[in-house]
Parts: sequence; structure tokens; C-alpha cells
Amino acid sequence: MSEASGTRQSALIQVEQLTRVFFVGGEEVRALRGISFGVTRGEWVAIIGQSGSGKSTLMNVLGCLDTPTSGRYLLNGKDVSRMDDDDLAVIRNVEIGFIFQTFQLLPRETALANVELPLVYRGVPARERRERAKAALDKVQLTHRMHHRPNELSGGQRQRVAIARALVSEPSMLLADEPTGNLDSATGEEIVRLFEQLHKAGHTLVLVTHEPKLAARCPRAIRLSDGEVVADGPGREVALGTGAGVAAVTGGA
Amino acid sequence: MRAFWDNLRLALGTFLGNPLRSLLTLVGIVIGVATVITMMALIEGLSIKVNRDLGGLGAHTFEVTKWPSGFGRFNWAKYAKRKDLRMEEVRAIQEGCPSVLAATPMDDQGGQKVATSARETRPSVRVVGTEPSYPLTSGVSVASGRFFNETEALDGRPVVVLGLDVADALFPGLDPLGYEVRIQGRPFLVIGVLQKRGSFMGMMSLDNQVSLPMKVFQQLYGKNRSLDIDIQARDGQVFQKAQDEVTHLLRRRRDLTPRDANDFEIHTNESMTASFNQLSKVIALAGVGVCLLSLVVGGIGILNIMLVSVTERTREIGIRKALGAKRRRILGQFATEAILLSLIGGTLGVALGFGLTFLGQWVLLFPMQVPAWAVMLSLVMSCGVGLVFGIYPAARAAKLDPVEAMRSE
Ligand SMILES: Nc1ncnc2c1ncn2[C@@H]1O[C@H](COP(=O)(O)OP(=O)(O)OP(=O)(O)O)[C@@H](O)[C@H]1O
Ligand SMILES: [Mg+2]
Repeated sequence: MSEASGTRQSALIQVEQLTRVFFVGGEEVRALRGISFGVTRGEWVAIIGQSGSGKSTLMNVLGCLDTPTSGRYLLNGKDVSRMDDDDLAVIRNVEIGFIFQTFQLLPRETALANVELPLVYRGVPARERRERAKAALDKVQLTHRMHHRPNELSGGQRQRVAIARALVSEPSMLLADEPTGNLDSATGEEIVRLFEQLHKAGHTLVLVTHEPKLAARCPRAIRLSDGEVVADGPGREVALGTGAGVAAVTGGA
Repeated sequence: MRAFWDNLRLALGTFLGNPLRSLLTLVGIVIGVATVITMMALIEGLSIKVNRDLGGLGAHTFEVTKWPSGFGRFNWAKYAKRKDLRMEEVRAIQEGCPSVLAATPMDDQGGQKVATSARETRPSVRVVGTEPSYPLTSGVSVASGRFFNETEALDGRPVVVLGLDVADALFPGLDPLGYEVRIQGRPFLVIGVLQKRGSFMGMMSLDNQVSLPMKVFQQLYGKNRSLDIDIQARDGQVFQKAQDEVTHLLRRRRDLTPRDANDFEIHTNESMTASFNQLSKVIALAGVGVCLLSLVVGGIGILNIMLVSVTERTREIGIRKALGAKRRRILGQFATEAILLSLIGGTLGVALGFGLTFLGQWVLLFPMQVPAWAVMLSLVMSCGVGLVFGIYPAARAAKLDPVEAMRSE
């Protein structure tokens, strides 16, 4: 705990006692039940857990696509847990690069136009955003496909376009919810390598995966179960269920 | 401003992505706007016709006709039973009304051809049969040569006075006096050319006519037609008195009892203006009704297609919001789309309105002219419809939750 409070100042993400309750037909679904952890700049964290354990729900809150029912979420020192729709839109635009399992590209626009989109909503002039979008596509080695539409690209290429789109606005962090979930293993590996490069280049990454092998490659992993953090520690240990990090966290929560 | 151009580009993209569906949606607006344009053109045209008719009467002159005002012959059956106005009545007025200076009978036949050995007019010339007092009562003067005199009128000599358009068409660059023209195959000697009276946008020109002695006119076109009689009072003071005298005389000649209404019409500049105003009010009201109705129908079309569009593009909206589009931006995007759509409809409606007006002018020979302000009004109105009916779907789009929206298919 003393270590946690020491990093609090430099923490990029600090969540405290986050809950998220859905109401479905008069019934409460408690998807998150009091989650606390921090992520510092430059970390690469995997979030793992069984289906339905609340990974996507947590990612949506972290990505400011959703707001917690209770608890606090400090992003870059700002409390974003009580912001309204429009303020969150600005946070999403400036601070966050979200990568989705199903890519979420606009089907009628070219790769380049898709990558430009965050800059459009930031009010960047057309020339500049074009240049920056090209540079982002270059980082994912897709400049030769920039005038193609999503349906003219392979799954791996689509995900690389989505990553370029997440990178283009130079956000504080990249969030990816099962980015390889819709890809075959070889293509998935390609994407993971890309993440490794981004991590080396200093990007902060939070990545949901259900593949223990992938989580084991991450410096840190958090395991969720039934809306609670049950393990938080080095990726290899958390992913393979060894290590002592588990007890420490459950005790702390 | 940048947001506006981005929105416009997106809206155009959507329109071009599905042009047929968009166009079908716009039928209501197109019809609404075309109605406005055509109605306004009609009213404008009528007011031009009124001006011309008013211009057609000289100083303190009134006109007696069988038919009520010349802007449409409603209740045809009722007026058809009236007695025709004949030459005998013209003579009676000339002799029996002390306040009357001149009474000029007029009859006309439209759609005539006038020809020389070398040239021929289009079959659109109005041939007027009248008497020598015509220049006086119609307030028009002769530019060159002379009008026909009493002797020519009495004898029914084959002489003709050309309107300027006819003179120009048949004798370009020449003085037509002394030449011969043919009407209905009969030769006529040109003895004069009337002064230019003005043409209204080159159609229904007042100068596209020729005048002949009434006697010859009746030989060509028959006698059994009701005449119009233009009557000039001796001066402004006896204008009303002259009308009373003529009314009395005609009522007496037609054996009307005090209970009977007049079975003829008296038009003055004022009465024509009044009847025009009344008519144009009716047309304007009908026009406003039809147009409001079709604009509402058009608006519902816009509402419908925008709701469909928002539903179809829920995922797109979710993605845009996830990437940082604020509510206002999404609202703007869809409102721009609705406005662009209805503006395209408005433009097509204006084009159709011009088309109908053109048809009205050349096929029905109805005087019509589209006033510039009607075009402006229509376009502004279409924008309004787009905004009013597009705002709800746009607001719905703006409020979508990004997570849910991205999950939709
Ligand atoms: N919009 C929602 N409305 C109601 N319940 C929801 C909603 N979203 C998630 N839930 C519920 O919250 C719980 C956590 O769901 P979540 O999608 O976060 O799981 P997950 O860990 O991402 O699972 P998976 O590995 O299958 O993607 C589940 O029980 C789910 O049914
Ligand atoms: Mg999930």
C-alpha cells in the first residue's frame, strides 16, 4: 500500500473502488465490484479473466466510454468519473487510443480517412491531419494501403489501421480489448509484435486478452474474477496462476 | 467553420451514396416548392396582365363586356346565357349617352398568322377588329402612317395597322407602309404602325397584334360574337355619369326589370385592380394551402429517411463518438444532412416550378413569371423544413451511448 501511495502522483491511471452496476429488467448485474489499481506511464498491463468477469466493462470505464456507478477514476490527475458526455468525448479524443476487437472502422471511408478521424474531432487542419495520419500508417507499415477501404483489407491490416488511428492523436495511453480476438494466430502474433514495439517506444498499454500465453509476455497482468481483482503482478505469474501477488491484492481489496 | 465543411462533405457523401432513395424521399418537398413557384409565377403573371389591361384603357375610359373580369371564366354557364354585345348597342351608346365622347367596339381573334410573299409570322398574332376611335380609347398612338378613318371603316376596306412586333417580323429594317400583307388568305394594305406598347418578358406581347376595320374582321371571323366596348367619358368629371348613362341605356334595351341584375360587366381600372386583387388572394391562399401540405409531407419524408439513416448508422455514430465527437458535432452532422437533403429537394422544386411556368406560358399561353423572391423564399423554406424535421433524428443520434451504439449491427 505504501508503494501504491508513492506512485500515486505519477500514476497515469488511478482507480479506487470502482463499481459498475447494470440494471437489466429490474435486476442488478454487478459487473465491477470495487476495483482499485494504478497504472504508471510506460507500463504494459494485461487484463485477464474468464468470460463475463468484467474485463470489457472495466476497459470501457478506463476508456471513458462508460462511467462507473461508484468509485473514483483519476486519469492524468483529473477525476473523470463524474464527467458528462461531452467532457468525456474530449478526454477520449486527447488522452485515449482505443483498439477494439472488431476494429470499428468506418466502412465507407478509406484507411487514411479512418485514421484522420480523431484529428477531425480535435479540429486539426486538413493538411496537417493528413500528414499525421500518413505518419501513423507508416508506423504500422500500411502506407501502401492508405487509399483502401476496410473491406479491401485483411483482418490484420484492418487492426493495424485501427492501431494507427489510436496512435495518431498521440494519446496518453492505448487501450485494447481483445485486439487479436478476431484474428488467426499468425496475424495475432503480428499485432502483438507491434504492441511490443510500441511498449519499447514508451507507450502506455492496457490490453485485455483471454490468452494466458500473451498475458505471460506482458510485464504486468491483472486478473479479474466476477468483477473483482484477484491477482495483480508480473504477467508470467498471474497468467500461469503461480506467484504470491494474488493474495496481496485480495487482501488489500 | 471547419466542422461545417466536414459536415457538408459527409452529408454529400451520404446523398451520393444512395441518390435514388434520397430523391424519392424528396418528392414531397419538390412538389411543395414547385407549387409555390408556380403559384407565385401565376400571381405575378396576372399582375402583369392587369397592368397591361389597365394600360389598355385610355384616360377616363371604362369597358363594357359580356364576361366578368378577364382572369378566368368561372361560372361559365351563368354568364354564357347573357346576351351578346352587338354593334347596334355600340351605335345606341354613341348616340344616346351625352356624357360619352367615344365608344369603340372591339373583337379579337388570337393565334393568327400574318404573311407577306416573303415572310410569315408565327401563328400567335392577335387580330383586332375595331373602329377609328380605337387609338383614343385604348390610349395608344400611331408611330408611323395613320389609323384607318371613318370611310375605310364604313366601307370595310382591306387596310391594316400593324403592331410593332408584327412589323418587325415581316419587314425587318423596312418601312412597311404601302406593302401588302395576307391574313386568312386575304390581302390587306398596311397603312400604319402602332407605337410600341411594351412587351412583358417577350410573351403575351401587346405589340404582337394587328388592327382591322370591324366590318372586315366580321367578314373574316363572323358576326355572332360578343363585342367588348371601350367607352371614354367627355372628361374626368362625368366619368361616373357616363357609366350610369350606359348602364341605363343597356338595361332599357335589354328590358331588364329593376329587380334584375345587370347582364353585362363594367370594368374600370379600379374594378379590374379590385377583381385582380381578389383573385390573387384566392390563388395565394390555395397555393399556401397546397404548399404547406406538401411541405409537411415532404418534412415527414425527411424525418423518416433521417430516422432510418440514424438507425442504419448507429455503429458509425458510436465510432465517431468513441473517437471524440461531441454531441453538438453529431447533431450538426445529421442536421446538415437533413438540410442539404431538403435544399436539394427545394432546388429541384424550383427547377420543376420553372418548368411548369414555362409550360404555362407556351402551351396554355398563360401569363406567368417567376418572381426572384419566390425562389429565395422556397429555398429558405426548404432549409427550414430540413431543420425542423431533421433536428429530432439528429438529436437522437447525438444522444446515443457509444458503447451500445458500437455493439449494434
Ligand atoms: N450493457 C450491459 N447491460 C447489462 N449487463 C451487462 C452489460 N455489459 C456487460 N454486462 C454484464 O456484465 C458482466 C461483465 O461483462 P463483460 O462484458 O465486462 O465481460 P468480459 O469479461 O468482457 O467477458 P468476455 O471475455 O466474454 O468478453 C457480464 O455478466 C455481462 O452480462
Ligand atoms: Mg469482453
